[in-house]
Amino acid sequence: MENAIKINNLTYQYQNQTTLFQDFNLTIDPGQWVALVGHNGSGKSTLAKLIMGLLTPTQGGITVFNQVLSESTVNDVRSQIGMVFQNPDNQFVGATVADDVAFGLENNEIDTKLMPKMIAKTLEIVGMSEYQDREPHTLSGGQKQRVALASVLALQPKIIILDEATAMLDPEGRQAVMATLTQLKEQFGDALTLVTITHDMDEAALADRVVVINDGQLILDGTPAQVFSEADVLHHNGLGLPFSGEVVAHLNQKPQKYLNESELISWLSTSNK
Amino acid sequence: MGNIMIGRFVPGKSVVHQLDPRTKIIGTFVFILLMLWANTWSTYLVAAIFVWFTILLTQQPLKMYIDGLKPIFWLLAFTIVLQIFFTGGTPVLLHFGFIKVTLPGVINALFVMFRFVLIILMSTIMTLTTPPTSIANALESLLKPLKSLKVPVAEMALMLSIALRFVPLLMDETQKIMNAQKSRGMSFSTGGPVKRAKAIVPLLIPLFVGALQRALDLANAMEVRGFKDAEHRTKYRILKYKKQDYQAFASLLLFSIIFFSVLYLI
Ligand SMILES: Nc1ncnc2c1ncn2[C@@H]1O[C@H](COP(=O)(O)OP(=O)(O)O)[C@@H](O)[C@H]1O
Ligand SMILES: [Mg+2]
Repeated sequence: MENAIKINNLTYQYQNQTTLFQDFNLTIDPGQWVALVGHNGSGKSTLAKLIMGLLTPTQGGITVFNQVLSESTVNDVRSQIGMVFQNPDNQFVGATVADDVAFGLENNEIDTKLMPKMIAKTLEIVGMSEYQDREPHTLSGGQKQRVALASVLALQPKIIILDEATAMLDPEGRQAVMATLTQLKEQFGDALTLVTITHDMDEAALADRVVVINDGQLILDGTPAQVFSEADVLHHNGLGLPFSGEVVAHLNQKPQKYLNESELISWLSTSNK
Repeated sequence: MGNIMIGRFVPGKSVVHQLDPRTKIIGTFVFILLMLWANTWSTYLVAAIFVWFTILLTQQPLKMYIDGLKPIFWLLAFTIVLQIFFTGGTPVLLHFGFIKVTLPGVINALFVMFRFVLIILMSTIMTLTTPPTSIANALESLLKPLKSLKVPVAEMALMLSIALRFVPLLMDETQKIMNAQKSRGMSFSTGGPVKRAKAIVPLLIPLFVGALQRALDLANAMEVRGFKDAEHRTKYRILKYKKQDYQAFASLLLFSIIFFSVLYLI
């Protein structure tokens, strides 16, 4: 089967620094929602930039939908991947919401006549239709990130990578962005591969698969239930557990395995009878 | 920081707001040229009426325009003083030692003042009613002929519009850093000029570092959204002259005719 992203024996180091990634391997299947977690400086953003061709591997290869990333394919590869960054202000290019969504369309030389419809459609998906003519400084952080998501969606990518897109948001904005993502995944199903980079474990718990890295090393890789059962390993790598896991850690009588929030609630209400 | 009026855009629905930005740039440019010609009382009167009329059409409170004049007050005062003291001629009105105030000097000073004020008012009308990015867009369109001379017009316009887009953000950031440093006991408004200039340094360094980080982030964000160069792109906003633009050009022509008639006939 073809992989959405295949990272093969990747080695990378920033100039004048020690090697960050050494023979790193990771494959992501089409339609998967993968949460990439790790503490600050563990190499998550570097990995995302390598996949986007913003950085070039020292050794090894990256393949996106059977296309090997190289100087001649970088534009093709980028047209299949959308990326949302951490700082909402530093990725808003247009003067208004509509102009910002249009920016990517203009770069791809889409016919002007087709743009208004495409913009309206993507803004509707992220629930920002009424804000079409607003300027960025009149929007909240969460709204700006949803516009960033719309800008990416307008280009109809097969893969979306979000690099700590919620890290600078208040709880409400975070909630809205995560809700939008969940809805996107439902709407597009296997046609959309999602990679969410985060160190918020509650966000990671929403994914199908959690990948933990530290200092460019793959530490854990599995379903949320599998990964969150390894509380000690996570703790050792500077990471916590989702809220439900933290609750369990403080119980005297513990369930056998990791439970998510709703599972935990039903477990608590039955086991204490 | 909040009261800088030059270059501020105020959204609205007036006729002037709806004009094509190119119309407004050309109009302002022609008006400035005419003002350099004006040298009689009646020409200034005609120009003042034209400006007044346009201000009314913008449907913005007069206070906005008066605020727009404030930043140039000292420049204006300085120019007037120079004109009064250094224009010669007769009759002499006042005499202080070697300085003479003459009637031509006073008249000249008044003319310079009117010229200045009217030009600033007209430019304020343009910036108040036109979003900065539209101005950049219009400049690109107006300067297109320079492309054949290998001037990178599209790149320059894109740079300008992105720069303009970051102005409010950098202003906010400046304010935040100033507050942070004030809370640590730094003062930006006391002491002599040297002390004040020194107080600016710890303000500029974090500001530059922040701006640089923003620039790098923005470059990445633009690149991942398929930006290759400013040339190979389509445009979302295409400028198109409409009926009101032709009406505006007709008014401008009418104004110019009246202006020159008054200049040469009266
Ligand atoms: N442009 C750069 N130049 C040199 N070193 C860098 C650069 N960007 C990141 N690093 C270093 O690489 C390591 C991984 O950084 P990064 O990928 O940003 O981590 P994360 O996104 O997981 O927080 C860190 O030690 C960081 O200091
Ligand atoms: Mg990072």
